[in-house]
Parts: sequence; C-alpha cells; structure tokens
Amino acid sequence: MFIDALKTIWFDSGFAALTWQHLVMIGVACVLIYLAIVKKFEPLLLLTIAFGVLLANLPLANLMKEEIDSETGGLLYYLYLGVKKGIYPSLIFMGVGAMTDFGPLISRPSSLLMGAAAQFGIFMAFTIANLLGFTPQEASSIGIIGGADGPTAIYTTARLAPHLLSAIAIAAYSYMALIPIIQPPLMRLLTTKEERKVKMEQLREVSKLEKICFPIVVTIFCVLLLPSVAPLIGMLMLGNLFRESGVVERLSDTAQNALMNIVTIFLGVTVGATAKAENFLRLETLAIIALGLVAFAFSTVGGLLIGKLMYKLSGGKINPLIGSAGVSAVPMAARVSQVEGQKANPSNFLLMHAMGPNVAGVIGSAVAAGILMALFG
Amino acid sequence: MSLAESLLVSGFSMTLVFFVLVALFLLIVIFSKVFGKTKAGSEQGSIQGTDTPAQPVNLSKSPSGQDMSVGTLQLKKVDEKTAAMIMAIVSHESEVPLSELRFKSIKLIEENN
Repeated sequence: MFIDALKTIWFDSGFAALTWQHLVMIGVACVLIYLAIVKKFEPLLLLTIAFGVLLANLPLANLMKEEIDSETGGLLYYLYLGVKKGIYPSLIFMGVGAMTDFGPLISRPSSLLMGAAAQFGIFMAFTIANLLGFTPQEASSIGIIGGADGPTAIYTTARLAPHLLSAIAIAAYSYMALIPIIQPPLMRLLTTKEERKVKMEQLREVSKLEKICFPIVVTIFCVLLLPSVAPLIGMLMLGNLFRESGVVERLSDTAQNALMNIVTIFLGVTVGATAKAENFLRLETLAIIALGLVAFAFSTVGGLLIGKLMYKLSGGKINPLIGSAGVSAVPMAARVSQVEGQKANPSNFLLMHAMGPNVAGVIGSAVAAGILMALFG
Repeated sequence: MSLAESLLVSGFSMTLVFFVLVALFLLIVIFSKVFGKTKAGSEQGSIQGTDTPAQPVNLSKSPSGQDMSVGTLQLKKVDEKTAAMIMAIVSHESEVPLSELRFKSIKLIEENN
C-alpha cells in the first residue's frame, strides 16, 4: 500500500517525466543565469529570460499551457499574451523614450545617417538567412537582431515568426551584452589612428521647444509614412514627450521606472518560457545565433563606413568611431565609441557625440522593422 | 526567396530606411532653423558671458535653466567651459540629473612641490 502510494507520487511527479532534452534546457537556463548574475550580461532581461526557460522546461508544470475550452491555461500563457499582441515591447519603448535625451541628435541631425547605415546588418543577415532556407518572415526576424534593439526584435518576431522568439530574443540580448567585445576589433580594423584621434566640436545647445516638437514631428512623419511602426515609434515618442514637456513628471517617472520594471519582468519571463526543448534544441537555433553575430558585425561596419565618409566630407571634423554607435543598444554602443576614442586620444570625449547616432539607431531599427513587417506581415 | 529577390528586397528596404531618416534629418534642420531664428529674436542681447575666474555665476539664470544645476557657483581659477564639463561628468558618473545636483564651488587645486 505504502509502496504503491510512493510509486503514484513518483509517476505523478515531474521527475518521472524528465527527458534528456529537459535536462539540457535546464542546463542552458543555469548558464544564462550565471551569465546574468556573475558576468552581468544584460542582467535585467537575461535573468528573467533564463528563469522563464527554467520554468518552461520543468515537465508537468504546464505554465505555458494554452486555454482550451473551459480549461484554464498556465500563468505564463496569459502573461505571454502581452508579447503575442505586441503590448510589452511597445510599453518598453515608452520607457526608453522617457529615458532618452534626443538633444544630441537634434543638435547634430546628420547623426541620423549613421543610424540609417547601421541597419545594414539587418538586411545582410536577412539575405543570408533566405539563402539558408529560412522563410522571408523568419529571415526578417533573424535580421532584426542586427538592429541591436531587444524590444524591436521581440515585437517583429512575435508578429512574423513566433516559433523563433526565444532563440532570437536570447541571441539579441546576448550580443547586446557582448558589444564591448564585438565592436572594438571592427572599429580598429576600419579606422586609422588619425581618424580615431579626432576631437569633435562641442554640440550646440538645443532649446526646450525643439525637444518638445521633436517627438511630435517624428511621430506624425513616421507613422503617416509607415503605419506599421506606429506602436513602437508612437510609444517611444510619447515617453519622450512625457520627459521633455516637463508638465507630467509623475507619468515620466512611472514610464521610466515602475512600468518599465513591471513590463521587463513579464516580457523576460514569458519570452524565456517559449524556449521549450522541442522548439529550442534544433540546428536552426545555432544558425540564428550565428546569423545574429553576422547582423551585429555588418551593422557596426555600416555605421563605421558612413562615419568615415562623413569624416572625409566634413574635412576631418567628425570622428568615424561614433558611427558604430548607430546600432541601437543605448547607451552601451556610445560608451564603446567613447572608450575607443579615448584610447586613441586620452583628451577625447565622444560620449555625447555618439549618443546622436545611438538614439538615431533606435529610430532606424524601428523603421527597418516596420518595413519588414509591412512587406512580410 | 531567390538570391536576386532577397537582394532586391534588401536594397529597397535599406533605401527606404535611408529615405525616412534623411527626411527626418531635413525636418530637424528646418525646424531648428525656424526655432533658432525665433529664439535669437527673443533673446537678443540677453545673454552675457563671464570669463573672469573666481566670480560667482548664477546658473539658474541660464537660458536652458531646466537642465541646469541651481544656486550660485563659485568658480576659482576655472573657466566656465571647464566647470560645465566637470558638472556634466559628475552628473553622468553619479547618474543624478544635473537639475538635482547643487555645486557650491569649483576650484583649481595647485600642487605645491
């Protein structure tokens, strides 16, 4: 009797249902948790994503179980609706907008060209992914990793290729954390020491009126031209208007802190929970991770090349190192430009100059995502 | 999708990204010029620079007062440009907005050998 009871408990437990695939995924989750806590790789998202991976791969927990008829679904299934419907990435963009100062971009609008060129990697990876046999929707989602913008990558993938969501989100956030390792060799390879030494002129002061008008003008123009980017650009600029208007301090604070933190938890855990063994342990996951690196590298190259062009056209007044900050990854990519600039010339302060292309990259990657969604959505 | 189609889509999309951002660039240039002229008209002659060291500077009277530190700042053997840079660095490193910081004085420390 007692033995039978023990047997029942054992066979009803998750231990009996564990497979080697589950164990591998639990191992992957533990590695990601290690990277987030010990190596501090984008810990805010990687830690939550990793725990989501762990939860989704504990058999019989059914946290991602869909609601069928009157049977209630799992907790994470309901939270995942925010990803599926594109709500969380848009809310994260609102927080990003509330935290972003577009002053350096308004002060030097030519930064937008760098933000555009740094989307080159998206389309390079898109082309290669197509050649490798991915569908255009999958290739678009893989390519968008090159935008170095987590919410945009998640938003696009949730719309175009939701079955690749976990692999793409993990690749995007991992590479964003690795920017200080990926970018510097390319920056040194593509620029001369003379170019890296260039000290840039101080940025002009931007008036409050300009800062207030900027989000309104960008929203009207971008959304009218590309309606598919409305959720991302609209929320980004709404958050920025909260910040710059100066009359809704509480809303700005909520968008930057409380709301952003809550959404980050929901987004991270549920995206991680899509990484079930049967979806994740495939050769295509390795291909996505490799293509993500290609996308990142070519985006950096695109930004640097236009930076070099602007260096020539400006008569040596623009340091091409700020071009690599055109990949979004705010403010990590701008910090890398600052560090590399200072290595070449210790009295060089490129941070504020690099913030222009950096925030331009956020707009650029959202526009690129909008185009791909309009074409293949 | 064939290679030719992929390249065509990529080329078209990249051109469109450039088109949108170049259009934004032009819009910013236009409205900056318009606002610059408006601002210059209303503020003509209202801003005077002070290069003399060790002179109090009231930063709350700065034209972009919202982002500035408040109060009176004593500059001792430090020019305004250097002081502004130091304040910006302190704000950036401490991650405290400039508007929430109060600087009392910034002075040059000379080493006695």
